[in-house]
Amino acid sequence: MVNRGLFEGYDTGSFYDEMFSAPGQPRPQYTKLFQKLATMAPGQFEERRKLADLSFLIQGITFTVYSDGRGTERLFPFDLIPRILPHSEWERIDKGLSQRVMALNLFLQDVYGQQCIFRDRKIPRSLVYSCPHFRREVIGVEVPRGIHTHICGIDLVRDSKTGEFCVLEDNVRTPSGVSYVLENRLVMTRTFPDAFQACEVLPVNHYPAELSRILRSLSPRGEAEAQIVLLTPGIYNSAYFEHSFLAQQMGIELVEGRDLIVDGGIVYMKTIRGLKRVDVIYRRVDDEFLDPLTFRADSILGVPGLMGAYRAGSVALANAVGNGVADDKAIYAFVPEFIRYYLGEEPVLRSVETHICAKPDDLAYVLGHLPELVVKAVGESGGYGMLIGPASDSKRIEQFRERIRANPRNYIAQPVIPLSRVPSYDSPDGCVAGRHVDLRPYCLYDGEKVTIVPGGLTRVALQRGSMVVNSSQGGGSKDTWVLRGED
Amino acid sequence: MLSRIAESLFWLARYIERAEGTARILDVNYHMLLEQSQQSYRLRWEPLIIMAGEEDRFRKLYSEVNAENVFEFLAFREDNPSSIVQCISKARENARTIRDRISREMWEDINGLFYTVSRFVPAEEIAAGPHRFCDKIKFGGHRFHGVTDATLPHDEGWEFLRVGWALERAEMTARLVDVQYHNLLDGPPAADALDNHQWMAVLRSVGAYEAYHRQYHPPIEPQKVAEMLMLHPQHPHSIRFGATEVQAGLRAVSGTGPGSYANEAERLTGKVVERLRYDRIGDIFDQGLHGYLNDLLNMFGSIGDDIARTYFYYAVVA
Repeated sequence: MVNRGLFEGYDTGSFYDEMFSAPGQPRPQYTKLFQKLATMAPGQFEERRKLADLSFLIQGITFTVYSDGRGTERLFPFDLIPRILPHSEWERIDKGLSQRVMALNLFLQDVYGQQCIFRDRKIPRSLVYSCPHFRREVIGVEVPRGIHTHICGIDLVRDSKTGEFCVLEDNVRTPSGVSYVLENRLVMTRTFPDAFQACEVLPVNHYPAELSRILRSLSPRGEAEAQIVLLTPGIYNSAYFEHSFLAQQMGIELVEGRDLIVDGGIVYMKTIRGLKRVDVIYRRVDDEFLDPLTFRADSILGVPGLMGAYRAGSVALANAVGNGVADDKAIYAFVPEFIRYYLGEEPVLRSVETHICAKPDDLAYVLGHLPELVVKAVGESGGYGMLIGPASDSKRIEQFRERIRANPRNYIAQPVIPLSRVPSYDSPDGCVAGRHVDLRPYCLYDGEKVTIVPGGLTRVALQRGSMVVNSSQGGGSKDTWVLRGED
Repeated sequence: MLSRIAESLFWLARYIERAEGTARILDVNYHMLLEQSQQSYRLRWEPLIIMAGEEDRFRKLYSEVNAENVFEFLAFREDNPSSIVQCISKARENARTIRDRISREMWEDINGLFYTVSRFVPAEEIAAGPHRFCDKIKFGGHRFHGVTDATLPHDEGWEFLRVGWALERAEMTARLVDVQYHNLLDGPPAADALDNHQWMAVLRSVGAYEAYHRQYHPPIEPQKVAEMLMLHPQHPHSIRFGATEVQAGLRAVSGTGPGSYANEAERLTGKVVERLRYDRIGDIFDQGLHGYLNDLLNMFGSIGDDIARTYFYYAVVA
């Protein structure tokens, strides 16, 4: 009789299970970890879990939620059982994502430049121009080295029906979460050093160095004297921990809008020795808050005159302004077409079938099938503005029907994807149960090639049955392991 | 270094020092009073509120000045901006805005102290007396100093921490001496032995008891205690020591050598240091201790303002 320890009575359910191919049968990439975990008593596991939690708390690895109006710091729940990907599968993902990032970058170059894609009728001009995040202010602006999408976080899910990964969403504005990838790994190596020894896991900690290299290459004054800063909205932003973490890892200055000033088309920061020129801004402030003279006049997070300096090319911004047009959820449906049009290749990763409510035929279909569809607002992120048909009552469905009718351009609909599951520790019950996950790899583009740290952030819906993995909605995360060499 | 970061470092150090200083005084005062009559009770607690400069606020919240109320007010009240818990919380807030610029060890230390302090239940601590709580704060402060010293490069950022620490400590000691003298000299006449006991407590509150005995012979005399706390060149809690540290920190930032000054903050600090170096305790007492200390406190206030004007909020001509 095999000792299953923690996994005794584990139910793989009707979903694709990342760890088990059949009850009690671990997949090859999980064999060694299974042996380690199965011999562990729940008490021992619980002890390590508490250690990991404490470590996150003391390090202040928290995010801020605003439910009580005061902004409370919370731990981003971390689950100790990693998601493991075999090397061959990762290679395919890496290839598919690289292709996608290049196509998105070419699309942005084109839309804010020559606009060949409209002439060739691959996408309706009206659909692009009506994107809430389309910025006509940057049409014709040439960005350094032609890079718009320096940092992308692309959300993948594994469809339980096919067992295949597909792209759920592109995030090419200011994607966050990469600090958790790095911190999760650090905590895991401290909590389960033995498991790392047994499995050969590809490292992830070169991310800051690679990002730093790319930022440096954008400097209008050359790399030697490049002054690079990370612009944060401040400590009350939900991702503030990540901002300070990345600034520290890259050894660059973490600044707020009030630390910067524009004079004569040049951006400076205020130091104890007077003003110092800034060349590259890794900005974690959204487009509309960047410059009160160009965008929202009430923004105190930005820097007056920043867009002028950006247009004049005296300062570089990463990511570029206006990227939101590429991760709009209606534009998403056209990305496979972009890959064919700009690269002359077939997409490696499948996209989810998407109905664009702006199209009359699609609209009719969506309104007729609301209870079985997922409806999303095109410009939203973080799991807000969403309807999950099968999990909603008729009142909420009718609400959405009204909203869609009132503003079809603002909505798309997709079939429900049954997400794969990974065994996760359920601490109130003290047992391990299957929980749904997605995967967000972080892609860095230097103008020639795309670098992706192996793995990424596996987000997990810790509530039983839930498929919403966003941290703002009770999601947690896991370390993601890509194994070295042959599986 | 960004002005905002220099400012946060300066205040981070000040808040830690303020929390630590308040904890020291609370602890010592409490134990001093354990061996006293009820009569002198009120008298001995009031100075602490005066020292914190929070008389009005205290009176609005409490009808009686007693150990429990003063302890609660100075240690835990969220609506007292200079309570220990508030100071630690603000120190952490400052650290959080510059956590990319301080060492990981420093951040984890202050963050850990914050959570330790948050876990104290005020009612339990008030019932148990302040020692356990105050001890945590004092050693929390010491440890943070140590961690900082050992893990942060001693560059200009470190100098701003040093200036903040030294300035706050010099001010705390000046207030301590002022209030205790007023209290002990103008209070009801007490037996010599008891008086002696109180001066011992004052020395202990700044960790100067043993040093005093190495320097002076018994019995403990009030004037010598004042000399020790104000003019001692090496004791880390003396006002002179603090002022000298402020001077050294400011000079390190501006790169100014001895005999000169680069800004108003340095000029004033130089004046304070020279006074404390050449004034004699006898003359100070003849001249009036309270007036002398008040002068010092005003100058420390101006030094703080001038540091801010020079480094934090200078006018940007765009």
